[in-house]
Amino acid sequence: MPLLEVKNLNLSVLTGNDLLPVVRDVSFRVDENQTLGIVGESGCGKSLTSLAIMGLLGGTPISMTSGSIVFSGQELTSLTNKERRSIMGNQIAMIFQEPMTSLNPVYRVGDQIIESLRKHRQMTKTKAKKRAIELLDLVKIPEPENRVESYPHQLSGGQRQRVMIAMALACDPKLLIADEPTTALDVTVQDEVLALIRDLQQRLGTALILISHDLGVIANTCDYVAVMYRGKIVEAAPTADLFSNVNHPYTHGLLNSIPVIDRDIEWLKAIPGRVPTINEKLAGCAFNPRCNIAENICTTCDPEQITLHDDHYVRCHFAKRGTND
Amino acid sequence: MLVYTFKRLLACIPTLLIASILVFLFIHLIPGDPVAILLGDAATPEDIAALTYEMGLDQPIWTQYLLWLGNVLQGDLGTSIFFHEPVLSVIADGAETSILLALMTMIWIVVFGIPIGILSATRHGSWVDQITSGGAMLFASIPTFWLGLYLILIFSVGLGWFPSSGFPSISDDGGLLNIRFLVLPSLTLAAPNAALIIRLVRASMLDVSREDHVRTAKAKGLHPMAVSLRHIFRNALIAVAAAFGFTFAALVSEAVVTETVFSLPGIGRLVVQSILRRDYPVIQGVILIIVVLYIIINLLVDLAYARLDPRVSLK
Amino acid sequence: MIIMQRVLWIFKGRRLALIGLFWLCLVAVVALIAPLLAPFDPFEINPIMRLSEPGIPYLFGTDHFGRDSFSRSVYGARMAIIIGLGSVSVALIVGGVVGMLSAYFNRLGHFLMRVVDVLMAFPALLLALVLMTLLERSVTNTIIVIGIVYATTTARILFGMTLKLKEEVFIDAAKCAGAGHGALLFRHILPNLISPILVQASFIFAFAQLQAAALDFLGLGLPPEIPSWGNMLSEERIYVTRAPWLLIFPGALIILSVFSMNLVGDVLRDKVDPRFKLDIKGI
Repeated sequence: MPLLEVKNLNLSVLTGNDLLPVVRDVSFRVDENQTLGIVGESGCGKSLTSLAIMGLLGGTPISMTSGSIVFSGQELTSLTNKERRSIMGNQIAMIFQEPMTSLNPVYRVGDQIIESLRKHRQMTKTKAKKRAIELLDLVKIPEPENRVESYPHQLSGGQRQRVMIAMALACDPKLLIADEPTTALDVTVQDEVLALIRDLQQRLGTALILISHDLGVIANTCDYVAVMYRGKIVEAAPTADLFSNVNHPYTHGLLNSIPVIDRDIEWLKAIPGRVPTINEKLAGCAFNPRCNIAENICTTCDPEQITLHDDHYVRCHFAKRGTND
Repeated sequence: MLVYTFKRLLACIPTLLIASILVFLFIHLIPGDPVAILLGDAATPEDIAALTYEMGLDQPIWTQYLLWLGNVLQGDLGTSIFFHEPVLSVIADGAETSILLALMTMIWIVVFGIPIGILSATRHGSWVDQITSGGAMLFASIPTFWLGLYLILIFSVGLGWFPSSGFPSISDDGGLLNIRFLVLPSLTLAAPNAALIIRLVRASMLDVSREDHVRTAKAKGLHPMAVSLRHIFRNALIAVAAAFGFTFAALVSEAVVTETVFSLPGIGRLVVQSILRRDYPVIQGVILIIVVLYIIINLLVDLAYARLDPRVSLK
Repeated sequence: MIIMQRVLWIFKGRRLALIGLFWLCLVAVVALIAPLLAPFDPFEINPIMRLSEPGIPYLFGTDHFGRDSFSRSVYGARMAIIIGLGSVSVALIVGGVVGMLSAYFNRLGHFLMRVVDVLMAFPALLLALVLMTLLERSVTNTIIVIGIVYATTTARILFGMTLKLKEEVFIDAAKCAGAGHGALLFRHILPNLISPILVQASFIFAFAQLQAAALDFLGLGLPPEIPSWGNMLSEERIYVTRAPWLLIFPGALIILSVFSMNLVGDVLRDKVDPRFKLDIKGI
């Protein structure tokens, strides 16, 4: 049984009186102890998908129009708000993109970690504080006994993100969602934080969904990759398979835009054009205006998802069906 | 924190000095000879000359200012023309009424303003919000004296629940029950100010609710009430505290009107009466006290601010 | 037509504020053509008809002098507009000059802003009262006094906004292009401040109505014979038990006008440049 199974997820945003689809027919699964990477340019719907799994779409103009999210055998979408909250921050936890603003400026970091322990584990204050210090130690913050009393503004960006990770891990979640956890950090700190997430994931056996615009980051961390483009998963495969057997031209474009240090290339190839905005209506494959192999069929007919072989799915009219070259 | 307090105290001194100069100059801006005004129509030129000498008004203006400031610092604010009593004791007579009125008003403002503001923000966009925030704006648009007159008409004249005017001291017969004289005045005074607080709480809570850390709090699975109060309201309180000085100023302005409507023997009515009686030393004394009070309140607000926002005290 | 469309676009989804705007326009029109609308001379005393109830021919009844309350209310609209526009102009000109110059010339600004801060330590009505003791009761003096009171807040706000604009790249660009002080202030900075100034003006207009009414009530505003809504309330308040309608009509007129102006100001503030959102008061 998979830990998390998302099936045919559809999300729409309410603008004026129109419901515009932003995430379409997204399906994927995450097994226990597995890592899934979701990659795509900004605006492709990857963050919204994670917010939907978390249950954080309330109060936003985005709503789930259809689909199912099954976690540990439980259909999340049919739970009451209260039942949902008992899973949030407990069995599923999330790390956000902006460590600088994601912590409450008026509370000590220790108190912010304690909050979910008190809520989900009914711990006493002293016990929770002891656990908070352990957690800060776990995420490699020096002098955790002192740092637990610090306010967020007294910490650096990297330390704040470590605190966020500690907070997310407080209740030993089965699934951790990290939405661009390193994007807002200094380049030198990015690797450290990423290594920490990878290390903790392996040590604690937590399943991980890592969301990033950077295929390189995903390649180093994840067992399985889903590439999203304009609200759809255009290609999904085990990491090794995806890299050895690229099928979708968009995935190809993303790969070409990763800088490789040990290879001497003069130019990085960027994908031409930009992601169309949600209110631009496009016939056919959403990627066709930017695709270098597009033909007539691509402008009229949206490709169905095809299975290449076990666990490798792609949405392209020109996918190399069944071959493995 | 101690260093911050000390710095903040030092920063008050220039403000106090400029304020004292303005208040001192006030009496010299009155058209005509101040001594003649002080003595009234019956004064002989000899009287005027004598008082001019006595008050030091024949000396250069800077000397006069320093003399005046020296007296003020010793608690001597001059003598009332109307009462022939020290200004300070005239003002002290009104202090009980004004302080009690202010306290009661504050209680109403906190009791009504903050919960309604929170309700309005948490139900943002619903009919509850539309009624409360629209109602708050309506109350902020009602002239204080008009509201007071109609409260008297309904609750004193009509229903006879509360007395319509005056305030015997709580040390007189009736003791603490005399507080009932202040119910209608304090409600009148509270209405526009509570309205202001409702709008302020609502606006700052809506601002905070868009911040990233609120999403973090929600992601912990906290109850929406806990998110609203512990995270959103707690941060919004910083902006509300910052506006408290502003509320105090509005309160003093409206107290002048309210005390007049309800004929309360407070400092506010004293100002109006002194202006109509041309009792300049009293006007000067009251203004000085209010300005000093305002500066002290702003100081306290800043200190409270530093307590509420951990980011401030380190600067 | 284009103006109408723009107004409708700004007020889209804010029906109550649109009604408020309509009410303000109505008050302005009534103020303009007051002599045509008023059935009686607002100053004409008629002791026989004193304190008559609302009806025909006295729509709003008569006051204790037997003057027609409706005619006085119509002329009161005129005073409301004059006081409002007058104090807004004084506040914006005095406050604008002080605020912008203080932000532009650092040293001068340091001193001027200190004085403004001290003046802001005087509660608005108290400052107005004190200034009124130094002056005669008259329409002009009331306008000047209320204008000066709100010039302090205006100066503070414009000071902050000009400081922010001074840091913008386009100001550096204009400097490099050789723009002088005058050109920088009036051609480059001022146009960017127009919309927040407009918001500020609408709130000052609303506050000015309340302050003027309070001054009238305390007997320190307009001369008593002038038909303003505040004076009507002040003069007739002792008859409130015998003739409650005398206070209802002028009171309702003040409340409606201030409420409308606040609603309109609110809508304008929501449309204003987000850079200045935090600077604008009048919550």
